[in-house]
Amino acid sequence: MPPNPTNPPDATEILAKADQLRGTLGTGFRDEIVKSLYNEAETIARRAVHAEGDHKYDFDQRIDRIVTSPIFGLPIMLLMLAVIIWITVIGANAPSNLIASGLFWVEAQAANLFESWGIPWWITGFLWHGVYRGLAWVIAVMLPPMAIFFPMFTFLEDLGYLPRVAFNLDFLFKKSGAHGKQALTMAMGFGCNAAGVVATRVIDSPRERLIAILTNNFVPCNGRFPTLIMLGTVFVAAAFPPAFASIAAAGSVVGVVVIGVIFTLVVSWALSKTILKGEASAFTLELPPYRRPNFIRILYTSLIDRTLFVLFRAVQTAAPAGAVIWILANINLGNVSLAQHIADFLNPFGLLLGLDGVILLAYIIAIPANEIVVPTMLMVYLGTGMMTDLPGLNDLKTLLVDMHGWTMLTAINLMLFALLHNPCATTIITIYKETNSKKWAALGALLPLGIGFVVTFTTASIARLFGWV
Amino acid sequence: MNLILWLSLVPALLVIVFAPRYGLRTLLGNWREMRTRELMEDALKHLIDREQQGRHASPESLAGTLGLPAAKVMNIIARMNSQNLIEHRGVELYLTPEGERWALHVVRAHRLWERYLADEARLPLEKIHAEAHRREHSLTPAQADELDAALGYPTRDPHGDPIPNRDGVLPSGGGTPLTAWQTNRPARIVHLEDEPELAYAQILAAGLRLGQTIRIIETAPERYVLSDGEAEYLLAPAVAANVHVAPLPESMLALTDAVPLDELRHNQRGEIVALDEACQGFTRRRFLDLGLTPGTTIYPELKNSFGDPRGYRVRGTLIALRREQANQVWVKPT
Repeated sequence: MPPNPTNPPDATEILAKADQLRGTLGTGFRDEIVKSLYNEAETIARRAVHAEGDHKYDFDQRIDRIVTSPIFGLPIMLLMLAVIIWITVIGANAPSNLIASGLFWVEAQAANLFESWGIPWWITGFLWHGVYRGLAWVIAVMLPPMAIFFPMFTFLEDLGYLPRVAFNLDFLFKKSGAHGKQALTMAMGFGCNAAGVVATRVIDSPRERLIAILTNNFVPCNGRFPTLIMLGTVFVAAAFPPAFASIAAAGSVVGVVVIGVIFTLVVSWALSKTILKGEASAFTLELPPYRRPNFIRILYTSLIDRTLFVLFRAVQTAAPAGAVIWILANINLGNVSLAQHIADFLNPFGLLLGLDGVILLAYIIAIPANEIVVPTMLMVYLGTGMMTDLPGLNDLKTLLVDMHGWTMLTAINLMLFALLHNPCATTIITIYKETNSKKWAALGALLPLGIGFVVTFTTASIARLFGWV
Repeated sequence: MNLILWLSLVPALLVIVFAPRYGLRTLLGNWREMRTRELMEDALKHLIDREQQGRHASPESLAGTLGLPAAKVMNIIARMNSQNLIEHRGVELYLTPEGERWALHVVRAHRLWERYLADEARLPLEKIHAEAHRREHSLTPAQADELDAALGYPTRDPHGDPIPNRDGVLPSGGGTPLTAWQTNRPARIVHLEDEPELAYAQILAAGLRLGQTIRIIETAPERYVLSDGEAEYLLAPAVAANVHVAPLPESMLALTDAVPLDELRHNQRGEIVALDEACQGFTRRRFLDLGLTPGTTIYPELKNSFGDPRGYRVRGTLIALRREQANQVWVKPT
C-alpha cells in the first residue's frame, strides 16, 4: 500500500516504534545480517567463479611451510633484512656522491655569481651556504637510500612475504602486549622512521597502533646507518687485529640494531602495562596468497607514496635548519662562533653522558634529519662556516681523538645515542599527523630521548667506575 | 633593586591568582564545583540503587557509601534538597521525579562507558568499573545518546546490569542468584555483580565470565562447586549470591557439543557454530568482517613453530588467529 501523502507518520512516532521494536531483536541480529550478506555473496560467486583443482593452494602451502618452519623461518627473514640493508648502504654511495657534487656545484656557482654582483657576503652565505646547502645535503643523502630501500621493501610486501614475517614473530610481540604486524612497521623503520609511523596504519586496533608508533624510533633508520658504520669502522674495528676488523665493525652495527630491537620489545611491554593498558585486541592477520609482483605498482607506491612523501616533509624542515646552522656558525661573540659558545655551555652535560657539547649541539640543531648530524659536528670541530663532509678516515680519527679528546667511550656512547634519541623532526611531525595529538607526539619524542640519556649516563658511569677511560 | 623586583613580582602573582579564566582562584573554584557535582551524582546513584532494591536510603547509608563524614553528607543533602532532587520522609530520603531522571542518566552514562571500555578500548574487566566511575560525570545526556548509538544501543553492561534507555526505561529480564538455582540444572551466567569489588575480584579470579554455561554440582554451607563440563569452579556462598544466572536460550543449546576453535587438530575440519558471548564490539565486528559467520567451514592449515598464532583456512583465505581469539569461536568438528 502506498503511504498516505496527506497524513505522513510523525518522525518521533517512527523513532518510538523503532525503539520499541529494537527490544525484541535479541542480541544476535547483527551476526544474522552479516551471515545473510555472506550467503548472498557466496551465491553470486558460485554463479560466476569456477574453481578447478587446488594447485595454487598446494604451491602456496609448500612455500609457507618453508618460510614459517622452525629451522628456516627466522634465518630466511634475517638474511633478507640484512641483504636489503646491505644493498641500500652500498648502493646509495655512488648516486649520493653524484647528487651531492651536482647540487654543491650549483651552490658554488651561485655564490660566485652573487659575489660578482657585489651582494654582501652574509646574504650569499645565508641563502646559499645556509638554506640551500641544508636542503641540498638532505636531498643528496636521503633520496638515494630511500629510492633503493623502499622498492625492495615494497617488492616483498607485494609478493605476500611480509605477513609471514608478522606470523613468525608474533610470539615476541604478544608477550610485549603488542601486535605482530609491528614487526612490519619496524622493518619499514629501517628505511625511514617517518614511513614506519605511517605504516602502522595496517594495525587496526588503536592501542597496539600507538605502541607501534611510539616505539618505531628504536630501530635505526637509513639516516643513522652511515654514522653507525663510520663509528664502527673508525673506532671499534681499530681495537681489533686487522684480520677481524671488518667483522668487528659489522658486529658492532648489528649489536646496535639488536639493542634497538630489545628496546622496542621492552618499551612496548612497559607501555602496555602502564599508560596504554589493555588487553590484546582482536589479532587477525590475513596471509594472502603469493602473487607475481606488479612492478609498476611497486615503483609507484615506493617512490611516490613513500620516498617523495618523506623527502617532501624532510625538505620542509631542512631549509630552516640550514639557516639556523649557518647563523650559529657565522655569528661571532668575542672571537668565537655562537655554535662554539653553545657547545661549550653544553659540554659538562655532554661529558656526563660520555659524549661532549659539540655532539649534543649537533643533535639539537640537526633535528630535521639524522643525516646532517655528522656534517654539523664536523663543522663545529673544524670551525668552518658551513656543514662539512667527512675527511679521510685517518684524518677523521686524528681530528676526533687527538684534537677533541674522543675515547672509545665517546664512540660507543655516540653509537648508542644515535640509536636512542628523539626522532627527527619529520618523524615527530608524522606522529603528530597520525595521532592528531600533541601529547603523543611529545611522548614519542621525549621517551627515546630520556632513555638515551639514562643509557649513555649509565655506560659512562660504569666505564669511569672501572677506570676504563 | 629589591624594590623593582617586588614591584614586578607582586602584580605578577596577583594576575596568576586572580586572572579571570585561568587564574588559580577560578581554577580552584571550578575544581570544587566539579567535585561537589560528582559527590551529588554519586549520592543520587546510591538513592536509585536503594530504591531498585526496595530499601530506603538514609543519611547514614549515604555517608557509608560515599565514605564521607556526616557533616559533609548533610551539606550534599541540603544542596540536593534546594535543587528539588530529593525529598525527606522522616529520616528516609526519596528521589523526586527530577532527581530520578538525573540519577538514571548517571547510571546510564556509567554503564555505557563500561560497555565502551570493555568492547572497544579492551580494558581488563576488573579495571572498567573504576574507569567508568571516573568518566560518568562528564557526559552530557546528548553525549550519552551519541555513545549509545555508536555502541549499537546495548541493553546490558559487561557485568549484565541493564542499561536504561534515553527515557530512563530499564530493559526487562534479570537473572536468579546462583544461591537460588537448582543443583545440576544448566544455566547461563547473565550477571556478575561488580560491587563490592572484593567479591567481584574473587568471581573473576575463579575464572567465571559472562555468558558462560555452567551447572552447580555441589552445594555445601562453606562452598559452591560449579562445572562448565571441563573445569570446576569453587565459590564461597556469599560470593555465589553475586553471580546471577538464567535458563539457557535456544541458541546456546547448539553449543553443547561445540569446542573452541583452538582445539581443532591440524587440518581437522570444523563448522562454526557461534561466536562467544564474551566477544563483543571491535573483536566481534572484525571476526564477522572476515567471514567467520555461523555455518562456515574452517580448519587449521598453517602451524607456527612457536605454537601461536595458527593459520586457519576459511572461505578460501588464510587467516592467522592467536589462541585467545581462536577460543572465542565455537566450532563443531566434522
